[in-house]
Amino acid sequence: MDIWNYLEYAAWALSALVAAIMLLDMFRIDTTYDNELLTSSREGELELTQERHEL
Amino acid sequence: MAYQPPKQGLVGQIVDVFVLLVLTVGALYLPLYLGLAGAAKTPQPLENPTWEALGQNAAEQQQWAALGYPDAASANEMITARFDYTFSWTALIVMAVVVIGYFVLVVRLSEKEYREVIAERFGDRKN
Amino acid sequence: MSNTTAAAAQERLGLLRVLGPGHVWALGVGIVLVGEYMGWNFSVGKGGMIAGLVACWVAGLLYTCVAMIDSEVTSTVAAAGGQYAQAKHIVGPLMAFNVGLFLVMAYTMLEAANAITIGFLLDTVAGMLGHSGLNQKPFIILTILALAWLNYRGVLASLSFNFIITAFAFVAIIVLFLSVQFGASAVPLDFSAVSNEPLPYGWLGIVAALHFGLWYYLGIEGTCQAAEEVRSPARSLPFGTMAGIMTLLIAATLTWYVCSGLIPWEYLGNAGTPLFDAARVTGNSGLMVLLFIGTAFATTASANGCINDASRAWFSMGRDRYLPSWFGAVHPHYRTPYRSIVFLVPIALIFALGAPLDQVITFSILSGLLGYTFMTFNMVMFRRKWPLGTIKRGYVHPWHPLPALLLLLICGATYFAVFLGYGTQLIAMLSFYIIASLWFHFWRYRFVRRGDQFTMPWPRPIGY
Repeated sequence: MDIWNYLEYAAWALSALVAAIMLLDMFRIDTTYDNELLTSSREGELELTQERHEL
Repeated sequence: MAYQPPKQGLVGQIVDVFVLLVLTVGALYLPLYLGLAGAAKTPQPLENPTWEALGQNAAEQQQWAALGYPDAASANEMITARFDYTFSWTALIVMAVVVIGYFVLVVRLSEKEYREVIAERFGDRKN
Repeated sequence: MSNTTAAAAQERLGLLRVLGPGHVWALGVGIVLVGEYMGWNFSVGKGGMIAGLVACWVAGLLYTCVAMIDSEVTSTVAAAGGQYAQAKHIVGPLMAFNVGLFLVMAYTMLEAANAITIGFLLDTVAGMLGHSGLNQKPFIILTILALAWLNYRGVLASLSFNFIITAFAFVAIIVLFLSVQFGASAVPLDFSAVSNEPLPYGWLGIVAALHFGLWYYLGIEGTCQAAEEVRSPARSLPFGTMAGIMTLLIAATLTWYVCSGLIPWEYLGNAGTPLFDAARVTGNSGLMVLLFIGTAFATTASANGCINDASRAWFSMGRDRYLPSWFGAVHPHYRTPYRSIVFLVPIALIFALGAPLDQVITFSILSGLLGYTFMTFNMVMFRRKWPLGTIKRGYVHPWHPLPALLLLLICGATYFAVFLGYGTQLIAMLSFYIIASLWFHFWRYRFVRRGDQFTMPWPRPIGY
């Protein structure tokens, strides 16, 4: 065992940790908020309020 | 009257994603699986290699040494390897037809769908 | 605007508008700069040193056209998904679906290629320090997961991070050039192969070299994916994209010069990390460390930008129901397309852990190439359906339709270059897109609301 072996284990552990955090957060958000709200983004909405296409 | 799309259930959504996934992985791995992938160089090593015979001058010999090739024999294969660019005209024409055909197909079907979109967004043309 | 729309807008979630032109530059150059650290040199292998330089400049010309065309269209169609949204408004839904797939494939494959390179680089360093047989897998997985998490947490942090590491990698190339120029190298620059062996494969070699010449710049068009998150798209996008292509032209030429001068072309054509190898030839350990960090940073920046772009394209397709609408979700706190980011992680892992590097790179290049071909007729149709003066454009590119025609011509030559050696992949890839297109047209499109796809406040297109 040298430092590189420890680094391998550390990388495995960190990967698992990050994956767990991300999935947990996603699960929490999906169960806390209504799906209609989460998917309410529409293309061009900001366009209407912020960009002027008149000449 | 605007077109009302059906609502898709959860199972349908999962199946659709799965279909796309299978297609993607298939396109990537099929050529590999059939052993048709990639172009390789073929080395044509010299019999008794010297740096001069391989066309490497003094500066280049120094560079080879720095890269971990101390003598001509060790760099022989790498220096003499060449690609083979012979190709068949039939294959080239087939490829050209497929590429152009693909774009024609996509643009024509898009055009049909696009007319519907414009008609619904701006209303039918009043002539 | 009336009060009702304002109230309705409050209940809706959108992506966050926080980016400036610097972030756009970091996104574009960050994805691409890795091409200077690995990959471009295969063009030297395919045609010799001169062919490598010609490919560098011809591809540079191609991408200057891409940047000009893209700046005009995207400063007008400012929506996440970039070229996808352009195709939807200008050519039609099926084309948009295909363009969306080009984007997702090109970026996810590139992300996989970057992760593979990081694993390879660490293995090399471990080998140099006396540890052989490093298990690359955990590092590849960690790279993809950590960057996905960064992207999940918010776009501002992701792209600010990208700005710093991209700038570092760019400065590293300039430092290498200057040090070599002022005699830091133990081994002299040598360009004798340029006159002795100018074109080992003749003119065909120049065309063949174009295949990997694209790698110098591939992905600069990704700047438009940020359109919905930039504070002022009509100004920032053209500015960031143009500054990006200039940065890359400089970096590409310097890279060719230093590497061709320090490395025999036969070796260069096979090298895994050419700039790092050039630093090794100089024998200067300071430069070696600098270029090692540069390679690692460039690769990370690229993977990071790719996650950002691929998820934006996937998200936009979900939002329009081209894909299940589940993907069109925005995170209520971080305001990122979080479901798309998470979903694309295992896909990238499949490619990074399962396929060989050159295969993955070729698929990425091919998807990019199909996208550039689309841009040519897209531009012509854009000017025809909405001529100058009918809508406000953030930027108008000069000499239309010359750039579009030039782009088409170079795309044709590049298809031929890919055909020399990778014809099977080209056919496999096209079969994939044809089947996917038929699937979309005859099945998936029924779930899409027709009129809602057209979101820009423009007048009716001419001829419809």
